Amino acid sequence: MPIVQLGREGRWTNYHGTGTCEAATRFALRSGDAERGRDELAAAAREVREWLAAAQAAGRHVRPLGAGWSPSNINIASHCWLLHTRRFNRCFRIAGDDVRPGVDAASLMLVEAGALVDEVSDKLEAQGRSLWTSGAGNGQTFAGAAATGTHGSMVAHGGIQDHIRAIQIVTPAGAQWVEPTAGVMSDDFIAATGSQVVRDDALFAAAQLPVGALGVVTALVVSSVPRFLVRPIQNLRRVDRRALNWLSAGDFRRFSAAYALDRDPDFVQMIVNPYKPFKRPAMLRFLYREPWRDDYPRATPGELGAGYDALSLLGRLLDDYPWARGWLLQFSMKLGYAAGPDIQDPPVYGSWGEGLDTHRPLADLFNASVTIDRADLAYVFEQICGVYARHGGSTVVTLRFMERAQGLLAPARFAHNAVIDFDGPRSQRTADAYARVVERLDAEGIAFTRHWAKSCNLDAARVESDYGEDFRRWCAARDRLIPDPAHRRLFASDVLDGLGLTC
Amino acid sequence: MMLWMGWGLCALLLFALYGQYLTGQADIFVSIANPRPLDEERMVVTLKGWGFASAAQLPFVTPEADHGLCDLRVFATRRQMLVAIATLGYLRPVTVAWRAHAGVQPLGVA
Repeated sequence: MPIVQLGREGRWTNYHGTGTCEAATRFALRSGDAERGRDELAAAAREVREWLAAAQAAGRHVRPLGAGWSPSNINIASHCWLLHTRRFNRCFRIAGDDVRPGVDAASLMLVEAGALVDEVSDKLEAQGRSLWTSGAGNGQTFAGAAATGTHGSMVAHGGIQDHIRAIQIVTPAGAQWVEPTAGVMSDDFIAATGSQVVRDDALFAAAQLPVGALGVVTALVVSSVPRFLVRPIQNLRRVDRRALNWLSAGDFRRFSAAYALDRDPDFVQMIVNPYKPFKRPAMLRFLYREPWRDDYPRATPGELGAGYDALSLLGRLLDDYPWARGWLLQFSMKLGYAAGPDIQDPPVYGSWGEGLDTHRPLADLFNASVTIDRADLAYVFEQICGVYARHGGSTVVTLRFMERAQGLLAPARFAHNAVIDFDGPRSQRTADAYARVVERLDAEGIAFTRHWAKSCNLDAARVESDYGEDFRRWCAARDRLIPDPAHRRLFASDVLDGLGLTC
Repeated sequence: MMLWMGWGLCALLLFALYGQYLTGQADIFVSIANPRPLDEERMVVTLKGWGFASAAQLPFVTPEADHGLCDLRVFATRRQMLVAIATLGYLRPVTVAWRAHAGVQPLGVA
């Protein structure tokens, strides 16, 4: 299982083409063919530790990279050593004697850090299991998605990092196996992975969302639920302003009854045109969970409405013709949204994994968000749309819902969260309009956070004030995991330093 | 009358040329059904003599393609289309981008 160097020092561009590492030396960590997963992890930990020592000796910072999916510059670091983990992507079944007494081994799977969300879904489904939530796409590595707090819009669940039950992290000082205090894996298993066991709730909560600053994550133990089917309903509807109160109160059943099926939805998403959001039809998506059955008619990801995360059509036109923005956005919404299945269409079903898509790279993407307490939604949503549209924001505005997510630095930190996304064509005017939205929320005294993987212009002072005591606990956990300041600096980058995560 | 027809024809040809300029930048994307993509790599292929010969600036080598390719894109940049138009199509550079497959590993035991 060698770490191999990929080509010479040069430029590396992230998945969506939104950020570039200059003068980067690229390496790849690859899976081996060991019979047992624990042996793979032990070998990987040794290799990564040696690689870190070599980087330190060469005086270079390091940056572990999954799929490079984040549109923000969180994974961008120039003049450093990059470690690509995409080919370190095996998954392993966990047996009853690998875990501590009382832990349900059948619900767990050992995942190498380079496995995509899609791969994890596939492997779980093969065992009759499923993730219970994930982001809109499935092309991120599971470790990378968790490291930035990726989420979807499953109304009763948190972020993707909530699936994690244990993490192997490698630093120059060695490999550490971080679990909650109650423990998950057996001591024998952990010893066989070449790791030192760390059972500590505070460290685990920090490591669930490490933002790439706590070392090289090499493996995860991922929890799952019995697999299930989802029935999607997707339509364009003019949404009544009063419906915001239902959403704000968490009355998703009423919202669903008004615009889709009269039953409790598991997933609710509304994409609006910020130019007259309640006069122009919004794009609605609902998912309804149903028991698994083997004989459901298979549908393609397109028929299941996959690829619902962003619209980046007509970017230049939107920027060049501000007077036509409202109409052009509505036009692009009609073009870009998969038609149906609506309530009158024959129902289609799919597993959770089948409804996600590894979409093609979205170049020139602007991608930002604010996460607010759901209770504030009715009060601020129209203000947000108004400010954004008035200052020339040229993207749709997406509304998603989730519960509090795990991890000290999880942006979804309210008990019930409304996540408002601004995803679409990149332009300076749109970035400025988003900045005005942030200013308005501050002026109104509305608490909010921003997504680590999106272009949200955070700085250290803001991170500290947004996360407060949790940020201090995260820093304390970091210093316990990596006590040597020189080792902490190894994972530094201009971006992470700017966020106060590696200083 | 003939003069106006001549101008009309010129305008039509200009529109046709502009249409070719725009459509030449279209991004043709072909993917396998269940991709596991690695990083994108690119090369420029220049068709010469109206397509009778072609030359790539780089040989088609991708260091991590032992599991095959996930997807392929073919497109021309604005500059490449302008080169094609300026040389009356004699030179037609196009960019070919591809992503290698990370491989699908069987489920193992921990």
